[in-house]
Amino acid sequence: MSARSTPESGSARGVVAGARPVKEVRRAVDWGSLAPLRIRARVVAEGVYAGAHRSARKGAGVEFGGHRAYTPGDDLRHLDVRSLLRHDHLLVRQFETETDRALRLVVDASASMAYRGSRALGAKLAWAALVAAALARVAIKSGDPVGMSFIGGSKDARPVPVRGGREVFERVVDALESQSAEGEAGASLAMLNDAIGSIARSARRGSVVVVLSDLLDLPAEAAARIGAICTRGCVVVVVQTLDPDEADFPFKETVRLKSLEGGVTVETDEAARERYLAALAAEQGAWREALVRRGAKLLTTTTDRDPVAAVRAIVEAAL
Amino acid sequence: MSFLTVLALAVAALIAAPYLAHRLRRQRADEVPFAPARLVPEAPPKARRRARLEDRSLFAIRAASVVALALLGASPLVRCSRLALSRGGASVAVAIVIDDSMSMRAKDGGDRSRFARAKKGAEEILASLREGDAAAIVLAGAPARVGLAATTDVGAARAALEGVVESDRATDLDGAVAIARTLVGQLPQIDRRVIVLSDLADGNADAPPLGGAADATVPVWVAMPELAKDTDAADCGILAADRAGGRARVRFACSLPRAAAGREVQIKDGDKVLQTASLPQTALGEVMLPIVGDDARELFAVLTGDDAVAADDRALVVVESGPAAIAVVGDRSDDAVSTGGAPVVEQALAALHVDMAVRPIPQAPDRREDTAAFAAMLVDDPPGFTPEQRHALAAFVDRGGVLVLALGRRAAAAPLGATFEPFLARAVGFGPTPTQSADPASGAPALGDAAASLSDLAAKGRAALAPDDASAFEPILKWSDGAPFVMRRARGRGEVWVTTLPFSVDVSDMALRPGFLSLLDAIVGDAKERSSPLRGDVGVPWVFAGAGAVEAIGPGGRVASSRDDGALRIVPTLIGPHRLTVDGTPELRVAAPVQREIDLRPRAVASTATSSSLGGGVSVVDVSWAIALVLLVLVAAETVVRAVTRPRGEIA
Repeated sequence: MSARSTPESGSARGVVAGARPVKEVRRAVDWGSLAPLRIRARVVAEGVYAGAHRSARKGAGVEFGGHRAYTPGDDLRHLDVRSLLRHDHLLVRQFETETDRALRLVVDASASMAYRGSRALGAKLAWAALVAAALARVAIKSGDPVGMSFIGGSKDARPVPVRGGREVFERVVDALESQSAEGEAGASLAMLNDAIGSIARSARRGSVVVVLSDLLDLPAEAAARIGAICTRGCVVVVVQTLDPDEADFPFKETVRLKSLEGGVTVETDEAARERYLAALAAEQGAWREALVRRGAKLLTTTTDRDPVAAVRAIVEAAL
Repeated sequence: MSFLTVLALAVAALIAAPYLAHRLRRQRADEVPFAPARLVPEAPPKARRRARLEDRSLFAIRAASVVALALLGASPLVRCSRLALSRGGASVAVAIVIDDSMSMRAKDGGDRSRFARAKKGAEEILASLREGDAAAIVLAGAPARVGLAATTDVGAARAALEGVVESDRATDLDGAVAIARTLVGQLPQIDRRVIVLSDLADGNADAPPLGGAADATVPVWVAMPELAKDTDAADCGILAADRAGGRARVRFACSLPRAAAGREVQIKDGDKVLQTASLPQTALGEVMLPIVGDDARELFAVLTGDDAVAADDRALVVVESGPAAIAVVGDRSDDAVSTGGAPVVEQALAALHVDMAVRPIPQAPDRREDTAAFAAMLVDDPPGFTPEQRHALAAFVDRGGVLVLALGRRAAAAPLGATFEPFLARAVGFGPTPTQSADPASGAPALGDAAASLSDLAAKGRAALAPDDASAFEPILKWSDGAPFVMRRARGRGEVWVTTLPFSVDVSDMALRPGFLSLLDAIVGDAKERSSPLRGDVGVPWVFAGAGAVEAIGPGGRVASSRDDGALRIVPTLIGPHRLTVDGTPELRVAAPVQREIDLRPRAVASTATSSSLGGGVSVVDVSWAIALVLLVLVAAETVVRAVTRPRGEIA
């Protein structure tokens, strides 16, 4: 009787950096069918309606753009007093921004992002990199500046400061291609602070912050820290990027599962599927609640999805 | 057991290999990287149990495959107890004697009767025969008879054996062995044997040992001595149960006197017990029980308790079951002898010990019901018959009675209206006899040597029949001048005998001669054969001479009839009442057990008849093909189980 892992369809056994052992900290990115990143990103960006990005953004400005629910930290000057007196609802008036719409990309490059199942187009980091590059391409074509930072990852890969112009795309792609999945993001807040600290301090109102991460091994305070960016008038879109195996738990037989961060090993089988999915949904719910409360948005996608659709969904969420 | 066999069996030790392999594989579950592993719970016990069960099915199949492989290497290994002939290279001719008597119904504490075990043994013997061997089957239930003549067609022998069923007959082992020797004695096979499958309980425990060297050319092998090993078996059976005069008389027999201890005989009307009495502790005895009430009830005598044979523990209580009587019609004053005593014909019948009551009556009965009690009627010199008498006598003969007309002077002087019709169409004459002697040669077939004594009879005359009447009869004895002396003619189911001399010693000395006793013996024998006794021994045929159709329903269902020598015969093989229909007339007869069959003591067997050189009960059976087949099935099952339990999508 085989006791090997047996995914539901196809060979879904997780593969990490080809034949490299699990315990190795540094993990090269399995690009799969997503390479070459530069060309694939342009193709994906071409598939996205660029005009959507340039459409009116809602934030602080002079032209009224609608209402949204008040969240603690909002500028009280924009509180709609009439609505409060008339309907006893705390609503904040939104205005068309007149500032630039810089795109700040945050890509999780911790060790867990190296995972790629058999159904995925590539490793989670590769898929996130493609989406990030495509978003950068869309933004640059719209004339918006683009910056990028990493959660974890190789120390050789430097963050890309916010810049405008065509050459930024090349720098973004170079940074992504030189990245590898390493580091344990959950060990401390240092990695997260390195990635979003500068954004929280310097992002201008109206900036769009897109976080691409599996949200699996981030510290417990990560949701609050990321959501807090919204208080600066930024649009925050968190994209939870999961491998299909992580989304549906395809294992049938007894299998030993070892986490990529944290050193957790569990022997389990198909019977654990329901409880796993429930735990995953609960964790997603917690993230969603923490982010939405701050005005951020949470998207969940898997790496077997079409990147074009994912980029389009992110752009629409950022509007 | 050879070294190779041991070595092959040692392979069975590898049965542990699949177990170890399964254990090792279970401990070597694959480690798979999975980022959200911290969200995954440990496997619940249920899932693990299921995995173990799946493992167990494969483990069982693989372990069985290893054992089958070891057995295949060690075979032929299996030894089982089967009857088989010890034989050289030549063909064998065997006559299988199967005892189908009542004692073979004993089960000796097991589930199967002795007969079933003997039949199984016969099947095994037939299975051990080879091409060119001959087999015959003889049944030892009395009378011994041929079940199948010698044949080389083993299939036919099997079919004949299949048709052999249990019966309640007595045992005739000697007769069966003699028949068996005759069947195979003349066959071309050099190796000829008689195989006896019997409990040897033939009621002749003190007889010479069975299988002695009476005929060394055909040895006897008592193949299953275990059938006779249960010497503790005991049986009691009801031989007869009669009802007369408000009492039931139950005759019983037991194989041992102690077998009757604690047992009772009950008279039952259905399930209702009318009377109960204890059996006296004797091997043969009677019990009398009073019965009151309606005679028309059908009562049964039943022995309580259990014994070796249950079939003989129940018998129908019949009314007047004794043999029918013989009527002697004559003038006692004329027939009396000068020395006194009964008429000479009655004295002659008493001397014959005919086991039938002799009842003198003054004149022929003129009512049919008056003839019912008689099997034969001897009418001495009747002066003709009245019309009523003629009707009654004709009915008497038609139903199977034997009428003997001894014609003399009075017969010739019959008054007007008193004739002998329908037996004789014309008048009878009486006159001087040209000769005083009978022709012994003509009477030899019926009377034997005693016919010679009928010479110089000092007859004062003899009766003469009209030629038409004489030609209608079959002469049994002739006068020396060729005239018929004694003749007979069949009518209906009975017969009419005519003698041309009366029985009276005043007319001739015929009644004083030994030949007369032979003549009466022949008449009585004929009467017994044609009479319908209510009870007879099981296995002894009932003959219905002159009957056109006979149907019989016995304890086991319909009993087939056969025609032998022009007469219908029915052989009762089971104890109990048989309801007959003879030419439309219902009749009840009872087949009773034979007393000696209740004696279960086995007969001695000659030492040569149990020699292992003739055969044995152990045989090596090659079951390699069966093991190979099982192994093939196991391999197929292993493949199927693996295919069924392998998860979808797994890459081999």
